[in-house]
Amino acid sequence: MTINFRVYFRFIVLSVFYFASIFLYADNVENGEKIYKQNCTACHLMTKARLVGPGLEGVTEKYEKEWLIKWIRNSQALIASGDERAIAIFEEYDKSVMTSFDFSDEEFSDLLAYLANPPVEEVVVSSGVQTVENQGMSNSTILMIIALVLVTVVFLLVSVKNSLKTALGKETETVSQTLINKYKLFVSNNINVLFISAVGLIVGLKFVYDLLMGVGVTTNYQPAQPIAFSHEIHAGINGVDCNYCHTSARHSKHSGIPSANVCMNCHTYISEGSKYGTKEIAKIYEAVGFDPDSRQYIEGYEQKPIEWVRIHNLPDHAYFNHSQHVVAGGLECQECHGPVEEMEVLYQYSELTMGWCIECHRETEVKMEGNNYYTHLHDQLKEKYKGKPITVDMIGGIECGKCHY
Amino acid sequence: MRNKILFIIFVSVFISSCSNNGAGYEYMPNMYRSPSLETYGKNNFFSDSLNARKPVLGTIARGNLSSFNFDGSLEGYLLAGKEAINPYENNSDNLEEGKKLYAMFCKHCHGEYGAGGGSITHPVYSAIPHYNDDELLRRCDLPMSQLTAGHLYHAITYGLNAMGPHASQLTEKERWQIVLYVQELQKRPK
Repeated sequence: MTINFRVYFRFIVLSVFYFASIFLYADNVENGEKIYKQNCTACHLMTKARLVGPGLEGVTEKYEKEWLIKWIRNSQALIASGDERAIAIFEEYDKSVMTSFDFSDEEFSDLLAYLANPPVEEVVVSSGVQTVENQGMSNSTILMIIALVLVTVVFLLVSVKNSLKTALGKETETVSQTLINKYKLFVSNNINVLFISAVGLIVGLKFVYDLLMGVGVTTNYQPAQPIAFSHEIHAGINGVDCNYCHTSARHSKHSGIPSANVCMNCHTYISEGSKYGTKEIAKIYEAVGFDPDSRQYIEGYEQKPIEWVRIHNLPDHAYFNHSQHVVAGGLECQECHGPVEEMEVLYQYSELTMGWCIECHRETEVKMEGNNYYTHLHDQLKEKYKGKPITVDMIGGIECGKCHY
Repeated sequence: MRNKILFIIFVSVFISSCSNNGAGYEYMPNMYRSPSLETYGKNNFFSDSLNARKPVLGTIARGNLSSFNFDGSLEGYLLAGKEAINPYENNSDNLEEGKKLYAMFCKHCHGEYGAGGGSITHPVYSAIPHYNDDELLRRCDLPMSQLTAGHLYHAITYGLNAMGPHASQLTEKERWQIVLYVQELQKRPK
């Protein structure tokens, strides 16, 4: 009996100890993870891959705890003390200085516990295909289905008619014969012919008119681009301002297409996108000659231009200046370019016709506040129009020579 | 029967071939298309075929002579921190402009008040140091809240860690205006 009791006692003590250690240990790792996420992720990955600094997988095995704490507390002091490993790593990473983190001893042991035992990342099954929304059928598909249904109905009706006729012992006729007979009957009446011709003429004229009016108007033009860049992800979800990439909209006639170095401001360190994985971002690397594994530019690489397809294009005989509209006019980009931050693939939103320009110039009031350069002119205008709203056409916004010269 | 099937296939191909992927027709292309080279076009003249050219190496655009002559190295950074002087004064115009530019170029990572929480949530850009932090020592042995104008300007110009260089996107004046605004954010109480 006593033996049994001892065995039980031992078992209970051991199990209590075991579970307690699990809980304590779990706490440590959790706190360590918090510290890691708040301070480390800007420069380190939990894998072996290099970011700004080295990947941290297995770092606790490579270096002993005391050394790591010294390094994290003040890496420059460790380098200055002549520590060989510290100097080696400083040189390897292009002398980028790590920030000094003066954590408490407890925080250090939590952090190192986390680094030694990072939780296994859950593999999230890519839902790329599922996220593509079913946007419903296009108009042409619907029309096609209706046409097919009608044709089927004609065939059905004729076959019903034929079977009825056979039942009555009359002569049957094929679909084409039926149609030809009906057609002959219809054409024999002059009023019918006149009516159909008139309708045909009107429809034809309208078609030709629309065709001619559509020449040079490329609204909704949505070409495929060499890189599947998503404005929805960058400008919408990530909230990057239009001006961040299209910087020259504030300075010049053109709202420039960003050169690849602007992409690389972030994509030096983000080589996997949320939608297309590494496939599309790799095309930037291909253009500029960047090796995502070593995170270094390849020396002597012949860079290739990315050939974006131009969407917004004014004729050569019309002058348009972005900075004039964005800076002096204070327009939001979306007023002409539409909800770009919702466009997965960019398309032309506005007509960009002369009528469209002039309509806006007639309706838009001149922004006079915060525009010191024109104070004198603005005062004169206010004097002249006395309280009436001053629109762009009143300051010459519809004069021919303003845009055509 | 075969004719009917062929007819249906023909109609489906005909209808589905309509799409808006072509730019369409234009009147008088001679007046529409520029005979001179457009900014983003191609040419047969230069070996890289780009119409957009870089300024000739070693030249400086009129009015753009820089007062900031420090390189991108750690030494350059430390020296800039000690010696660089902001040529623009701290007045309401410059601060207002700096704030506007900050919203365009910095806010999505650094957050509205330079304390993180921007709209970009990627892990690499989540551990953002706070401008008003006075504890963690950065590479110049100073915490964020005590970085000088030179340090800030150097970081914007040459980049730092996961932040890329922004020299191509901002003029010198704009960078100094942002520095003025960031220095205001450094003083924000925690």
